[in-house]
Amino acid sequence: MKCTRYERWLWDELEGRLSAVQTQELRSHLQACPRCQRQWEVVQATHQALRGLPRRHAPERIRQQVRAQIQQARAPKPVVAWWKRVALAPALGLIVAAAWWGWLASQSDAPLPPEVSTTQQHSENWVEIHEQLEVADWSPTPTPNYFITTGYTR
Amino acid sequence: MCSDTVSYTGRRIELDALSAEAQLVERAQAQDETAFEQIMNLYADRLYSYILRMVGNSSDAEDLLQETFLRAYQGLPGFDGRASLSTWLYRIATNLCIDHQRRRARRVQTVSYFATEDDGGETSEWEFPDLQTPDPMQSVLNRELQQVVEHAIDLLSPKLRTVLLLYDVENLSYEEIACVLNIPIGTVKSRLNHARGQIQKHVEVYLRGESK
Ligand SMILES: [Zn+2]
Repeated sequence: MKCTRYERWLWDELEGRLSAVQTQELRSHLQACPRCQRQWEVVQATHQALRGLPRRHAPERIRQQVRAQIQQARAPKPVVAWWKRVALAPALGLIVAAAWWGWLASQSDAPLPPEVSTTQQHSENWVEIHEQLEVADWSPTPTPNYFITTGYTR
Repeated sequence: MCSDTVSYTGRRIELDALSAEAQLVERAQAQDETAFEQIMNLYADRLYSYILRMVGNSSDAEDLLQETFLRAYQGLPGFDGRASLSTWLYRIATNLCIDHQRRRARRVQTVSYFATEDDGGETSEWEFPDLQTPDPMQSVLNRELQQVVEHAIDLLSPKLRTVLLLYDVENLSYEEIACVLNIPIGTVKSRLNHARGQIQKHVEVYLRGESK
């Protein structure tokens, strides 16, 4: 019965979370109980192995790619010359008028066109999305609701 | 779960490091390109090691680290310093890893209908050992034990693995992990106990084999 209590103390002892009195009590128990002594060795080895796990080196190309994407996002958009804009305006007007006329004609008795699935067009590729992000109001910070909405916790 | 101010009681955070970090963030927010570069250099290896152990293969880990940095860059203007920079970065990385695991689980589920015996399914690609700073004193036994532990971590459920890696490998405090995962501190502790218990079983079997 008592052993369960001391087993719970082993990690606390390693992390210095026990009081001096508790430490003394644990040490005495370990001397008297081979089972807990064995467990103590296992906990120490586990702790040491976890703390000693090596850092892995992140390849430099990852940072290069991030830099490149940031540069790309920051690059100014090409400026359209004023005369091109002037020339574009009547053309756009014509397109809108034609579309309006076409819609009016189709309203008479033609069947409805099939709906275009916008979800199909959504690419899962984050990078692609982010190439268009200069204009999007996008919050990359995970919201507190993230785990709740995705059902990750509890 | 995140406190309104950065937790100075976190067991391994030092005040000097925090103020240096705050200055770095300020500079990065003021569009100082070298500051973001510094942030990447500071955290690349830490985050990469963590992500690699979370997802189990280097190719996915590289993609996820890249995405972590891009999201951090995009989110910097809104970063208000309520959590420390490292907590915030781990949070972005963790969310991406969880998303990734969920997508992968769906894919495996779909693929398994057609899988043949030769496929072997999705296997992790651990490459042991790759010590960045080799310690000549480290014995072969210790390395073996580390491999046992790495394998045991790989077998944990994502929930347990996340908490164990953040606490025992990445040195985050209970409070910081609660903030990263948006869960109560009590849940962090119970998951950690559970995870450690499972790792210990593998270590125990290994040590028993060694002592024979
Ligand atoms: Zn005992």
